[in-house]
Amino acid sequence: MATAAAPRPMSAEEKKVIFASSLGTVFEWYDFYLYGSLAAVIAKQFFGGLDPTSAYIFALLAFAAGFIVRPFGALVFGRLGDMIGRKYTFLVTIVIMGSATFIVGLLPNYATIGIAAPIILVALRMLQGLALGGEYGGAATYVAEHAPHGKRGAYTAWIQTTATLGLFLSLLVILGVRLALGDAAFADWGWRVPFILSILLLGVSVYIRLSMNESPAFAKMKAEGKTSKAPLSESFGQWKNLKIVILALIGLTAGQAVVWYTGQFYALFFLTSIAKVDVTTANLLIAGSLIIGTPFFLFFGTLSDKIGRKPIILGGCLIAALTYFTVFPMLLNYANPALVAAQKAVPVTITADPATCSFQGSPIARPIDFTSSCDIAKRTLTENYVPYKNVVGPVGSIASIKLGEKEIPSLNATLNDKRDAFSPDSAKAIAEFKKTVVESAKAGGLTAKADDKTMNKGMVLAVLIFLVILVTMVYGPIAAMLVEMFPTRIRYTSMSLPYHIGNGWFGGLLPTTAFAMVAATGDIFYGLWYPVIVAAATFVIGMIFIKETKDVDIFAND
Amino acid sequence: MWKIVVGFIVFAALALWLLTKGGEIDMSGEKHGVFSPEGHVLAALAVPTAHRPAAIYPSGF
Repeated sequence: MATAAAPRPMSAEEKKVIFASSLGTVFEWYDFYLYGSLAAVIAKQFFGGLDPTSAYIFALLAFAAGFIVRPFGALVFGRLGDMIGRKYTFLVTIVIMGSATFIVGLLPNYATIGIAAPIILVALRMLQGLALGGEYGGAATYVAEHAPHGKRGAYTAWIQTTATLGLFLSLLVILGVRLALGDAAFADWGWRVPFILSILLLGVSVYIRLSMNESPAFAKMKAEGKTSKAPLSESFGQWKNLKIVILALIGLTAGQAVVWYTGQFYALFFLTSIAKVDVTTANLLIAGSLIIGTPFFLFFGTLSDKIGRKPIILGGCLIAALTYFTVFPMLLNYANPALVAAQKAVPVTITADPATCSFQGSPIARPIDFTSSCDIAKRTLTENYVPYKNVVGPVGSIASIKLGEKEIPSLNATLNDKRDAFSPDSAKAIAEFKKTVVESAKAGGLTAKADDKTMNKGMVLAVLIFLVILVTMVYGPIAAMLVEMFPTRIRYTSMSLPYHIGNGWFGGLLPTTAFAMVAATGDIFYGLWYPVIVAAATFVIGMIFIKETKDVDIFAND
Repeated sequence: MWKIVVGFIVFAALALWLLTKGGEIDMSGEKHGVFSPEGHVLAALAVPTAHRPAAIYPSGF
């Protein structure tokens, strides 16, 4: 156990280390989020002419970029970082990310080069996922290994602000360019500008990172010839390390990820889809809460140096698990009281044979995989976030929806000969069914948009800030904690994988799982069980098995 | 430190101002699917419609 450093201001070299690492990571997140924010435009440019089967294959590949390639990137670059050094590895990751983003900006669209356009785009997307998998662990490790003992939480917390800042930077550039060029020019060619601009950000990042020195701990280890020759087998092939990797995943990052996704993204989805707040107002409220919340990353990172990482991270998980079922109904009530009143006044039921209802939770399923009358009825209501109760119907019966006094029979759908779309008759019947359901729901006030006059914006913002503060509790100290759990020789590899599996899988599956849970039960809050259970499990596992690390000497075994 | 605080406030104010000017933007973060302009059955994985940009999904299916 090392002693804490005597209080002193941050040195110029330390400031430069934090700035260079954080700036590069901000740019990396910027690149990654551009694709998310511009997904609609990209779709028109690159996927417009695809037939259903090809589009599904591309969908699977793009899905893989987030879920498989990112953890794979953690392994590839983690290994390199532990063998050749932190500095050169996270220099490579930023070059890959920046170059891939820049090329997207120059890539001819489907109309110009045909099928090659989406193939190249998805390949570039995979490169981005690969680079992102390697970036975070490198930046966190690099900063932590430069930080004095007793200040790792405070120093690495700067890295934790980068995902939010990167998202904001991408929004700033996109909105700025769109405002300057106008909507038509932006949709035509202006969307390329934010991608092309990334070359400037890449240049700045590379210039700054090239001027940095290698992490002192790694440099010393390398000079003494003590670096790992096989970081992957050391990290994951030896039980004493693998055990810590698994615990870091299920006792820390899984809970951190669901709390992060719920506070940053599910809250936005909840506001726009369930509370039916208009997109601009919801974006402003979320942006306001993120801006107010961002300094708390630094607050909790610094606090973790004093009271420990574990109580803050696991405390955030526990508070989340205990409060989500109170907080989200409050959010709905403050945002759209008329909708809440309508939900109480108009009972909605689905009567169906339970044997015909499936759990719609596969992240790689397509809408055409749900053809039964029960599934179609449930998807129709759930896509409009109309809450309903389930009533058991006779065996083999066709499901029906009852909205107030009106009963609407659903239908069993069939697919076309190629089995890649609904048959024309079914597609038409589904459209009719949906139209009838939506009109009836609308008549009952069940799809009422949030009204600016009745919305309590102050309280909505307060609830959102609370959710973001939970995010900062779990996320602010996590880099320091992960770094401190592993020795220098395998640190980059060992900490990157649980971080990216935790965030990519546990966090990334939140929307699909929550949707499936809402669809299965008809309860618009039921999807919250997913983050609540994962956060609660993380709390219990973390409390029992994870040791506090703030006083660990991270160089003790070097 | 004060420079960072001032920079952050300017950055935040600019972001909010731009959002008030043209706030219809997808802020829901990373995407895992491939999106079809016609809203075909196809490229959408089982993620709910509301998670996708509405403009490219005129129908729920």
